[in-house]
Amino acid sequence: MENMNERPVCHRAEDLVTYLYGEASASEARDFAGHMKQCDACRAEFAMFSQVHESIALWRNEALGPIVSSAAQIASSPLTSAAAESSQFVHHERKLSALAALREFFSVSPLWLRGATAIASLLFCLLVVLAVARLWQRPVEVVKGGNELKYGQQDLDREVQRQLAEKLASLNSEKAPPVNVSTATAAPKNMGNRVQLASNRAQFKTPRVKGLTRQEREQLAADLRLIPGRDDEELPFVLRDEPNP
Amino acid sequence: METATTDEQMVERALSGDPEAFGEIVRRWERRIFALAFGMLGREEDARDATQETFLAAFRNLRGFRGEARVSSWLHRIAVNQCITRQRRTKVRSETALEDEAEKNAAVFALPADVSPARTAEVRERSVAVRRAVCALPPDLRQVVVMKEFEELTFQEISEALDLPLSTVKSRLYTALRQLQMRLEKIR
Repeated sequence: MENMNERPVCHRAEDLVTYLYGEASASEARDFAGHMKQCDACRAEFAMFSQVHESIALWRNEALGPIVSSAAQIASSPLTSAAAESSQFVHHERKLSALAALREFFSVSPLWLRGATAIASLLFCLLVVLAVARLWQRPVEVVKGGNELKYGQQDLDREVQRQLAEKLASLNSEKAPPVNVSTATAAPKNMGNRVQLASNRAQFKTPRVKGLTRQEREQLAADLRLIPGRDDEELPFVLRDEPNP
Repeated sequence: METATTDEQMVERALSGDPEAFGEIVRRWERRIFALAFGMLGREEDARDATQETFLAAFRNLRGFRGEARVSSWLHRIAVNQCITRQRRTKVRSETALEDEAEKNAAVFALPADVSPARTAEVRERSVAVRRAVCALPPDLRQVVVMKEFEELTFQEISEALDLPLSTVKSRLYTALRQLQMRLEKIR
């Protein structure tokens, strides 16, 4: 602003801008072109304004891309023809990367669409995280070679039964005296292990029972209430039909 | 101007209850109105908001359109008013901050891949300088420059849109170009 008055100004400023932007009629354009040949101020300003126009077009095209309109008018403009050589990169189509295109798409999208997209993205990320976590926690199946044995549940049960039977058999063979083997073997098979255990217990008790005296046996029988003891005879008969006094 | 006639027909159809008609007007003019708002405000975000507010205001005042001016002029007038209102509203923001944000936004726009890095840097530098110079213009000069350079409207159309005499439009543009030229010269 401060240097504005230092430059020579022609009184045909309005004609200059009309000519500059190609809006002068043919006769007006001829007239002003003839004037410019004689007017240094107008000639200098025309050159400088052309550069300004070029710079603004550069900014506009960089920011917004070329505006496709009134192309014929612009093409016929003397300003455009003057700036055409140096602004060859100005009139280009914008080449957007996928990210830039996506960004532009979202920039013109309404708020609700942006919100919905954000929520959908969050849900998608959450699902991905859950899926990864689930895969992470799943036990790793070790793939073994085909030569190794594979046991099923039935095989395991069978093996356990076999081992158990062998163990019981070995216990029986170790603890049972030869005399009682026939007794044990004579027991019905369906009575199973409980019978065998009972017989084993009896074998351990038998020597103790044989060592008791007659008196001890009677006392034991009385304790077990197998025979009426003395105490029972002395007990008063409590319950009677007679009413209590 | 076939388009202007068709725009007026579209307004008539919108007034008679055709829901698609106003959408068609928006589709036709949103890019230009956005360009105008971007040139006026210098920020993409503000320009988008101003564009939306422009069409919203146009739709609300559709019955106020009497066909005396062209639809394009009517829309541009609304857009300019919206931009000026928005500028006043955000005047608390310093010019430096505005320019910084504008520069930041400018990085979004990419030049073609076949342009060399040195040329890209030069273009970017010039672009920033022009943006600063335009943003520094007074609003009455800036709107004329933007309507001429960004919208490529004729002087007559600018005159109608701003409701100014034709000679005023030309003299404002001349003054604006001189100021811009001096600012750019200083930067170089």
